[in-house]
Amino acid sequence: MSGTGHTVKSYEEEMQSLNDNLVMMGSLTESQMADAMAAVIKVDKDSVDKIVKNDGKINELRSVIDNQITTVLVKRAPMAVDLRITISTMKISHDLERIGDLAKSVAKKVKPLPVDLPDELIGSLRRLGDLVQKQLKDALDAYLNKSKDKAIEIWKKDEQVDDLTNLAMNEVATYLQKDKKNLEMATHLLFVTKNIERAGDHITNIAESLYYLIEGEYLEGARPKGKPIES
Amino acid sequence: MELNNSKIKIKAKNLNVFYGKKQALFDINLDINQKEVTALIGPSGCGKSTFIRCINRMNDVIDICKVEGSVEIDGAEINEKNVDVVTLREKVGMVFQKPNPFPKSIYDNIAYGPIIHGAAENKNQMDNIVETSLKKAALWDEVKDRLNEPGTSLSGGQQQRLCIARALSVNPEVILMDEPCSALDPIATAKIEELIDDLKKSYTIVIVTHSMAQAVRVSQKTGFFHLGKIIEVDSTEKIFKNPANKMTQDYITGRFG
Repeated sequence: MSGTGHTVKSYEEEMQSLNDNLVMMGSLTESQMADAMAAVIKVDKDSVDKIVKNDGKINELRSVIDNQITTVLVKRAPMAVDLRITISTMKISHDLERIGDLAKSVAKKVKPLPVDLPDELIGSLRRLGDLVQKQLKDALDAYLNKSKDKAIEIWKKDEQVDDLTNLAMNEVATYLQKDKKNLEMATHLLFVTKNIERAGDHITNIAESLYYLIEGEYLEGARPKGKPIES
Repeated sequence: MELNNSKIKIKAKNLNVFYGKKQALFDINLDINQKEVTALIGPSGCGKSTFIRCINRMNDVIDICKVEGSVEIDGAEINEKNVDVVTLREKVGMVFQKPNPFPKSIYDNIAYGPIIHGAAENKNQMDNIVETSLKKAALWDEVKDRLNEPGTSLSGGQQQRLCIARALSVNPEVILMDEPCSALDPIATAKIEELIDDLKKSYTIVIVTHSMAQAVRVSQKTGFFHLGKIIEVDSTEKIFKNPANKMTQDYITGRFG
């Protein structure tokens, strides 16, 4: 008994291909999130179209993965760890696709923003973007290394994402109170903030799926939530 | 290894079986719950069939076979010398891989056991046993108008249900099934599995199967055998979603050998 690979080589290859596609999808999503954040911070309107276009590649990969999973389910009736890999890969690919969509939405909000975005407005937003990107990178690394501890760490860290989101929204609200003319810009920035926060939620979903893949059990208890800041 | 509060029907303790000098089972300890389906899986030659043959002392018929250790049914040792194997096999019925109806009519196939055990006093009672047994095995509607035709004239799936009806005719408490669907097509298999679901309300069932999917579908508890040893026993759900033992995982995911 080797205990390493499947006796049927084509099964092994199918699972490997599924893994490779998910890793590729993760890498593309990471780039999209980084590009979208950079576009917001620099108010780089020229990069928006490219980001929007690249989202199609992530969607395509999700379709490929969906098809591969259907094939594995019907051909192999996967059991135990294979079953958990298959289920988790499906869930993770859907979360990555949603993160990709959110990155696209963030990028689209850059076009109506004024080029001279005041620094006081984007301090917390920048930190939020950095944190969510770090979370995504850590989640993908944890997937590659099948690290249960890292998955738990990411899951718990979403509290910080929530706190920074509240802070960023508060900054925008304060700015808006100064001058109601800022309403349109503030609205766009609130959407950007909210979309990044939601990307963070999908990253915690990935951590949960990864934990299930590794442990065969679900992460128990309610995820820690940041407290809303009273304005 | 008890999983819940279900009552233990069969308890194997330190069971060792030898065929001549070759040891086929090593220190098997296994509890089988009442009115549940327990599936036994493992590669060919791992001892799972040998194990179920210990439950109704079918190994007695093999001269070179020696059984050591204990098998209790409802707390009573079945390997005691004074245990009547005919009575034991009345209590513990068996269904084999290949349907093996007697070369007799459908009716006589069912009536054979009750006649031996003197279960019916008259023709009416026997008719009643035959009808009830065939109904329990979900075969009555298909054969009620041809009870005098040979059992062998039925399809494979029907023959297997006839054999199940035959086992049920003597009011057993336990039914042992040794790969009961391996010679059947998917439709006949589905009918047997549906029947197993129904029978478990009244009987304790132990099924040996090479089909992982079947084990998942029909059983509540699964035991994995390898080289005559029991490697892991747990709820079927746990075994197939997240087994504790790497060897179990390698076997059920096709990483074996």
